[in-house]
Amino acid sequence: MTDYDKFTPEIPPLHEPFWAALREHRVVLQRCDRCGRFRFIPSELCTCGSAQYTWTPIAGTGEVYTYTVVHRAPTPAYQADAPYVIAHVTMDEGPRMISTLVGSDPAAVTIGMRVEIIFDDVTPDLTLYRFRPVETAPATVAQDD
Amino acid sequence: MLQLRDAAFAGISMTQQGDLSDRNPADVYWEVVQDALADAGLSLAEVDGLIGDAPPGVGLRSGLPGGAVADLVGHPLRFHAATSIGASGQSAGIGLAALAIAHGMASVVAIPTVAAGQVAGYAGADRNAAVAHMARLGSPYEYVWGTTRVADYAVIARRHMYEYGTTEEQLAEVAVAQRHGATLNPLSVNGRRGEITIDDVMGSRPIAEPLKLLDCCLVNQGAGCMVMTSAADAGAQARHHPVVLLGWGEGQSYLDPCSAPSLARFEGGRLAADTAFGIAGVGRDDIDVAGISDHSTINVIVELEASGFCAVGEGGRFVEGQATRIGGRLPVNTDGGFLSASHAGSCGVFTVIELVRQLRGEAGPRQVEGASLAYAHGVGGVSQVQYGAVLARA
Repeated sequence: MTDYDKFTPEIPPLHEPFWAALREHRVVLQRCDRCGRFRFIPSELCTCGSAQYTWTPIAGTGEVYTYTVVHRAPTPAYQADAPYVIAHVTMDEGPRMISTLVGSDPAAVTIGMRVEIIFDDVTPDLTLYRFRPVETAPATVAQDD
Repeated sequence: MLQLRDAAFAGISMTQQGDLSDRNPADVYWEVVQDALADAGLSLAEVDGLIGDAPPGVGLRSGLPGGAVADLVGHPLRFHAATSIGASGQSAGIGLAALAIAHGMASVVAIPTVAAGQVAGYAGADRNAAVAHMARLGSPYEYVWGTTRVADYAVIARRHMYEYGTTEEQLAEVAVAQRHGATLNPLSVNGRRGEITIDDVMGSRPIAEPLKLLDCCLVNQGAGCMVMTSAADAGAQARHHPVVLLGWGEGQSYLDPCSAPSLARFEGGRLAADTAFGIAGVGRDDIDVAGISDHSTINVIVELEASGFCAVGEGGRFVEGQATRIGGRLPVNTDGGFLSASHAGSCGVFTVIELVRQLRGEAGPRQVEGASLAYAHGVGGVSQVQYGAVLARA
């Protein structure tokens, strides 16, 4: 059994491959077989109208589109983590995804910041994706202005 | 073209807003319906239309609310409808009611909302339970991370600040302007707390940055009702100066925040407003007073932009000049709005009720002098779907 007491997702069958991949520490999104666009959240139809798609791995990197620092959480379990950052991230493949952004001082988060997905096995059956800043190379070569 | 002006707001009513946890919600619902009818000079025997829900707990077939109300009034109704504008479901229903009335499909339509009693979810008096319930209204791709309704609007505020330079002080001005109206509104929740300043808002505790406690709407109970009839019928009663619906429109623009084309500007709102103003045949500059749904302070700014009262990106500067205060260029939410008056049930009903009061000339100490044209704008979900309406003193 688990003592995880935050909200767990209600997952329709269509969405199951996304969550199954997370358990394997991979991120797959639907990619339209007709127009090639990635889409998120899962949907039966692409905006081009096609119902044909393939679950396709993405790189897991993107940039912050917008964010908030939550101080007043929905339940006591989340409140224990407050303040925490919720970020909307434009993935390099196009779709926006939402999650917590960890590994950064909330005050240091900016729109446009590069982030990458990491995995958090919160129960044996549930893995969540989160964002963290992309490690940038040390500025040892920056000699000029 | 259809003349929406054939339909009038004949009656309005509302309870004291706040904590109605000791009341039976069905009883409160029926009370505000009868009060609105009395305000219109009508009786239950004349009701033949309903927008929205039946009284809570009346019957077990909640998908057939018209049938439940027919049982109570003792005769079949001619008309029932509901909208899909989420939290603005009932207030956006004024358009459907007006269409039915203008076409002779109904003559007296009740538009009630109630949040009262010991109930679970957002209609209850338990703030923590209501906040947790509303957090789960989004998709699992939001709520598993611990998003809240305030956080949903905070990300809009953050993006708006980034794209247009909107400031937290400009957000605060929205709250300050509306609190003044609430102090002049004895039915409001926050009026008794007195005036607030920009510094008070800026110094209130953070909820979801950049939004602070005083940037956020209330969580409260209350009830209200509007009754719409033909303008001729409303005029015949002559209890109040008649107020008619001149124009109405919807904009249904996206489903999921991940698929929103933008979280800083809302094309659906523009579509709703353009449709409403087009039907009304009046311009933005003609509007004397507005009711703009205000789940948080940023809502007023983005909806003023979407409605066309200022350019997209100019909303912060528009409110900064105190334009939305009573006495300003465009007084907004003069009753205090969701921020300071009431955010109960399908709270857009209260937005429209205040505009009817203003156009009747019955807004007392918060009356906008000479108000003859008003604009209402409401959102559902987290602004995915919106409506606009133009009201006029006949």
